[in-house]
Amino acid sequence: MKQALGLLAAGTAVLAIQGVAGAVVPPPYFPDLRFLLIVGIGLCAPVATGLVIAAVIGYATDLLSGALLGQHALLALLVFAATRLADRSVNLRGDLARAIFAALLTLAHAAGLSALAWLFDSASAVVPALALPLLVHALLNGAAAPIVAAGVDRLSASLSDEDTVRRPLRLEPRRRVS
Amino acid sequence: MRELLRRSLIPLLFTALVILALIAMLVDRRALDAGGRDHSWLSGFALEMAVPLQKMVAAPVDLVRDTWSGYIALVGLHEHNERLRAEIAALREENLQYREALVASGRLKRIAEMRRDLEVPMLPSEVVGRDVSPWFRSVLLDRGRGQGVLAGMPVITDGGLVGLVTATSPHAARGMLLLDRQSAVDGIVQRSRARGIVRGLGRDRLVFEFVVRGADVAVGDVVITSGLDGVYAKGLRIGEVIEVSEVGESDLLQTATLRPAVDFGRLEQVFVMLRRGPTMALLYGADGAVPEPGAAEAGAP
Repeated sequence: MKQALGLLAAGTAVLAIQGVAGAVVPPPYFPDLRFLLIVGIGLCAPVATGLVIAAVIGYATDLLSGALLGQHALLALLVFAATRLADRSVNLRGDLARAIFAALLTLAHAAGLSALAWLFDSASAVVPALALPLLVHALLNGAAAPIVAAGVDRLSASLSDEDTVRRPLRLEPRRRVS
Repeated sequence: MRELLRRSLIPLLFTALVILALIAMLVDRRALDAGGRDHSWLSGFALEMAVPLQKMVAAPVDLVRDTWSGYIALVGLHEHNERLRAEIAALREENLQYREALVASGRLKRIAEMRRDLEVPMLPSEVVGRDVSPWFRSVLLDRGRGQGVLAGMPVITDGGLVGLVTATSPHAARGMLLLDRQSAVDGIVQRSRARGIVRGLGRDRLVFEFVVRGADVAVGDVVITSGLDGVYAKGLRIGEVIEVSEVGESDLLQTATLRPAVDFGRLEQVFVMLRRGPTMALLYGADGAVPEPGAAEAGAP
């Protein structure tokens, strides 16, 4: 419970930071911390908890954004699921693996958003006009992914109810008895 | 059986959440089309919670920005000031000549009477936050229904058109910017009166499309709102043409790229026009009059 609340609080803080960052840096040229948080949650949180938190963060994004309610929530669920599956198949423990995965998933996320917008909003497609900013955004997300994932991992571990304190097991070499 | 249920819990949860999200999108789309989205309690709650939080997080950024613009960036201000004084003097002289001509023609009195009917009250508002998604363009405003702001009201600055209010709560509002992909404005070229639709591209440029092939559109032309869409008042500055696309032999329409009149990167203070256009009034309700501050809380539409 503490872990879930902590991750939700982190989601709230990230949304606030994202809202302010947009005033300083043009949005595609700043890492999507909300998206990276969901990827981080996908790497460390329990599945059921992570799904619910991802959905809540997605709905909160929809309410504070110009998107339809449920649009970012659906994509957040898919991002979480993709992260989970990729971690099982490829082992996303290394920084480079996480960075590459986050960059590729950013492109897939934008394509998903564009597809949903085309289906439900009849808005024009994102990709042709925003190809270059999208690539830059994917690179930025990739660069920031290891840092955010490490932060989420630490937060999640510190709030987990399990005893996560691990001490190195020392095996003393057998002494010769003189 | 129990084991089967335990194993299928996660897939079931995932499927249920996905279906819920799809249903929410369908319902929200229908509500948007019916104009009932403005009064969603969930949206209002999120806006009310977001504004103080955004202000708190933005405080250090605003401090740095104010220090920069209030002190460090004042180099050359004296020369700029003198230039502006000279420009004001020239404009005053020009204005005086126009007024003399109007008085002579007897139209000044009639125009003054028309102005009283046509003047739209403006409510100044501060931009406290931006869209949390990198692919949508909206802003969070610190004025809401309690101050008379309703969904469907245009948002402007002294530079030109900014966008449209799309959601409100008692003390906050969200406005969709012109840059948003979902934004569409009926515009005309001020010089030639060529008409088209101005749409956002999700970046710092606008596209002026569905312009008839032979229409006179040139680089440097100013595009303004036509007022014909019933959403925005006529004459609001939208942007300047920076590129006109080449028209093929078989093309019936032409497009142009616009640079917005408003610097959206430095948007801090805006004005909400406290009157909806006829289309918005029809969509959200027949109330086009300016509500009294506090009337929203008293339950007035």
